[in-house]
Amino acid sequence: MIKYGTIALLLLLLISCKKEYTAPLPDITWPLFDSSGTVPLTSMTRQKIEGVYAITEGSDAFGESAVMKCSYTANGSDTTYHFSLFCQKEVIYIICEGKRLDSTILLKGYWRNMVNTETGKIRLTITNSNGASQLLYSTIADSVSGVTVTGVYGSGDNPPDKNIELSYLRKLRTTRTLQIVAHRGGGRTSDLLPASENTVEVIKLASRFGATGVEIDARMTKDGVLILYHDETLNNRLIQKNGLVGPIENYTYDQLYNLVRLKNGEHIPTLRQALNTVLYNTPLHYVWLDVKFSGSLQMLRDMQKEYLLLANAMGRSLEITIGIPDDEVLQNFQALPDFTNVPSVCELTPQNVATVNARIWAPRFTLGLQIAEVQNMHAQGRQVYVWTVDVPDNIRKYMNEGEFDGMLSNYPSAVAYFYYAKQ
Amino acid sequence: MRNNKIIFLFFLLHLTWLNAHSQNDQVSLQGKPASRNSLDLYISGGFGYYPSSEGTPAYLQPKVSRINAVTTVRVFWQPNHLLKMGLETGTMTFYNYELTDSAGNKGRIALKATPVLLEFGMTVKKRIRIIAGTGVYFLNTKLDYAGETSSQKLTMGWMAAASYTYPLTRDLGLGAEAKWLYASETTIGSLGIQLQLVWKFFKW
Repeated sequence: MIKYGTIALLLLLLISCKKEYTAPLPDITWPLFDSSGTVPLTSMTRQKIEGVYAITEGSDAFGESAVMKCSYTANGSDTTYHFSLFCQKEVIYIICEGKRLDSTILLKGYWRNMVNTETGKIRLTITNSNGASQLLYSTIADSVSGVTVTGVYGSGDNPPDKNIELSYLRKLRTTRTLQIVAHRGGGRTSDLLPASENTVEVIKLASRFGATGVEIDARMTKDGVLILYHDETLNNRLIQKNGLVGPIENYTYDQLYNLVRLKNGEHIPTLRQALNTVLYNTPLHYVWLDVKFSGSLQMLRDMQKEYLLLANAMGRSLEITIGIPDDEVLQNFQALPDFTNVPSVCELTPQNVATVNARIWAPRFTLGLQIAEVQNMHAQGRQVYVWTVDVPDNIRKYMNEGEFDGMLSNYPSAVAYFYYAKQ
Repeated sequence: MRNNKIIFLFFLLHLTWLNAHSQNDQVSLQGKPASRNSLDLYISGGFGYYPSSEGTPAYLQPKVSRINAVTTVRVFWQPNHLLKMGLETGTMTFYNYELTDSAGNKGRIALKATPVLLEFGMTVKKRIRIIAGTGVYFLNTKLDYAGETSSQKLTMGWMAAASYTYPLTRDLGLGAEAKWLYASETTIGSLGIQLQLVWKFFKW
């Protein structure tokens, strides 16, 4: 029997080992790209390079087509532009920086498959003979044709050695607008993104993932500071272990700021830091403040108002709505002065939406397409955002068969592909 | 992974039960025939060692106290076969450490716990028992940094132990127990050794 016990303990030890999954960003250094002869691409080139491309080589890895979209991250007067390729296959995206070397356009970056941990380097080129001149020098907006992007990609940090080729098909869809809302500021920590969920860092990445807006989770610390954090408690899913457990509301902001690091090493941000990032660093134009705390919403409302005024003063298109996910928040929302004029997104019934005069109704996707209800909301001058749609088949279905104005997803790159690629 | 552990624990208990079910000789602490049923009280005190380096991040420049007190009380029903069943609770500290933040300010964090575990055990050899069980841990963070904070969390966990008991009288024994206490927030839990007083306090 002692033998059984010993074996049992050893087996228990063995199965106690938890596999840690990682998807580290590859080193994307490319000497040619970083050489002294390269110069940034112009605004016209960045605009013209956007479009839907057929993947003529490498489709086994990336699918039949991809959408190329440009985004930026501003840091004061310094702005970095990125080219994202949202691929048809699974949930794969490519993020590159672009430069010009003489008459050749160079794109360097990495690719990532969100359904697993696969990632790797990618280097793309558009030569003069493949149409670079019309992207670089033509001033006619609709003159893009015959552009071919060639390059190589690899796995992990291995040198890129597999060929990829893309051919320009058409411009991006512009006939209908869809708010592509990234969940938790850009994506979940569990999806092994380069930044943790609900952080300043992931908000900066959101537009590279295809998002036009973000949903962020607002909580309040013991000393009344609004912060971003999804879960009710400090836990191993979101933070590096440090001995602190229990509800986040038990801790002061100083304690959280100085003692807690999120999974990728970031501090827990304040809501103010997050809104500053949206406003000053990104092209995002929608923020969904998901209320995760009980009690008065006045402080949240004041901050919403402040940032809407700031955005307005900057001439910046930015909508910020207070989320109403349950009856308790609904009651707290209704306690706000003049609450019917406070921009909100209500997840509850159409009657609740009307009561608080929410600008947006946000039904759960499992409730179906709800065509009649959505049309009714439109007739009332409201928008409808569906959440949280992650499976590519569902994204396609809700995009093509539904009449939603926005879609919340952990995989905004997949939403962006289906949206922009649709003819 | 947690499900695997629970399934495995039940598998272990099942094995133990099968082995025990074939034997029905009830023995006293002195190994002599005893009453058919009894309730045994185990009062244990000792120390636990927290072996993991996780939980004390380098950015806090931790000075870790890995050895901490573990005090537990267990009540076991000893029925008409070797497999016993009972409850264990107590108080323990998984670890505590002194921290220094980036500005040089000092503080202290202690992760304490109160386990409440349903346990099964059996005598595998004269005076030697193995015990395993699962249940919950009421974790409690004691933080002394920029003010004092106490914060609780309920989490799943388990324990496994082996004990040796030397009989002092027919109903009283003294022994030692090697114990592994695990709560899901604690990487690999705490490995401990306790002195143990065993009292067969109720018989029928």
